[in-house]
Parts: sequence; structure tokens; C-alpha cells
Amino acid sequence: MPAIRNQIRELRAARDMTQQELADRIGLTRQTVIAIEQDKYSPSLETAFKVANVLGVSIEQCFQYAPRGKR
Amino acid sequence: MAFSLSYREKSLYASLAIELCVYGPYFFLHDRNSIDKVAAMIGAIIVLQIILQTLIAIFSRNRVTDERDRLIELRGYRAGYFALASLMVLGLGMLWFHTAVGNMQIDPRVMGLHFLSVFFGMLVISDIVKTVTQIVSYRRAL
Repeated sequence: MPAIRNQIRELRAARDMTQQELADRIGLTRQTVIAIEQDKYSPSLETAFKVANVLGVSIEQCFQYAPRGKR
Repeated sequence: MAFSLSYREKSLYASLAIELCVYGPYFFLHDRNSIDKVAAMIGAIIVLQIILQTLIAIFSRNRVTDERDRLIELRGYRAGYFALASLMVLGLGMLWFHTAVGNMQIDPRVMGLHFLSVFFGMLVISDIVKTVTQIVSYRRAL
């Protein structure tokens, strides 16, 4: 499991944004957004910044580093 | 729905199905193979791939590929290369064993076809390993 956790699902829900809308605005597939939300894939730094920009939050509010064994 | 397939995944499942449907009979019926059958099989693979991949592209609304697709593609090629290299070493070892230690008796008229089948089989297995690795990677955490 990747060591990067995120709040994308909650932030997206608060903005009434679908996974497909978020994916289209960042240039990802919906399946990749699903994988990121389920902590199955850690996006690149560039994608992480794009996600934070689209959701209108700082990257720290969107993504957190959670080392293995410290969750 | 979390279990929907992306364009790349559909394409991979189609490739795997074609590979198994065409290569399967070829290798299970290898005692009746000929150069003509090899040519027909390669032709069938190319035609079926073009038809199926075109249909998938037509019926897929979103054909975007992203960084995760590229990462999974690289993983697949790495696994495929590892399989190919391992099979080559195994094949060369067996060839050495049969010629140096054993008593290899192959009809010279079918020698070419025999080695064609063996090396072609290695390529096919490596390609299937690559495709299966990519399919599995889509379902597992990266």
C-alpha cells in the first residue's frame, strides 16, 4: 500500500464533483482517480499539485505522508 | 462503479484473449505444425488485433492514457523481458545439454521448424507474461 494518504474523496464530495469531472480536469482516467482515492496509487508530484489546484486547497490539505507502521 | 475498465484495460484483455485463442491451438497441436501454419497464425494475430482494437477504440468514449497507464506498461515490459531472458538462458542450456551430453536426434528437414517453434514459443510466453502482469497491475496497488 502506498505511503501517501489523501482526502480527495471528501474534498471532491464537498464540491459536488464527480470522479470523471476531476479526471477530465487533470488529464487522468477515472480509474486512476479511483485508485488514488483508494490509496492504491501514489500520483506523481505534478499530478498531486494539479489535484490540489483543481480542488482549491493546498497540497498538504489534500495529501499526507504516512510512513508504513505509523498510521 | 469502482470495477469499470479503462480503455487500456479493455485493450489488454482483448490482446490476451486473441493470444490465447490463436497461440493455444498452435502450441497444443505442435506435432502438426508447418511453416504455412506459422505464417497463417501470425496473419490471424495481426488481423484479429486490428479488428478488435479498432472496435474497442470505437466503442470507448474516453481513450485517455495517463501516468498510471505508462507505469503499468513499463512494469509489464520489465516482467516480459525477465521472462524472455530466463527462457532464452533455459533454452540455450537445454540446447547445450542435448548436443554436448545427450543424444539429440531431430530430422534435419524439420530442424528449422523445430527451432522456429521453440524461439517463437519463448516470444509468445514472454508476451503473455507482459500482458498478464499489466492486467494484474491494474487490479493491485502500485
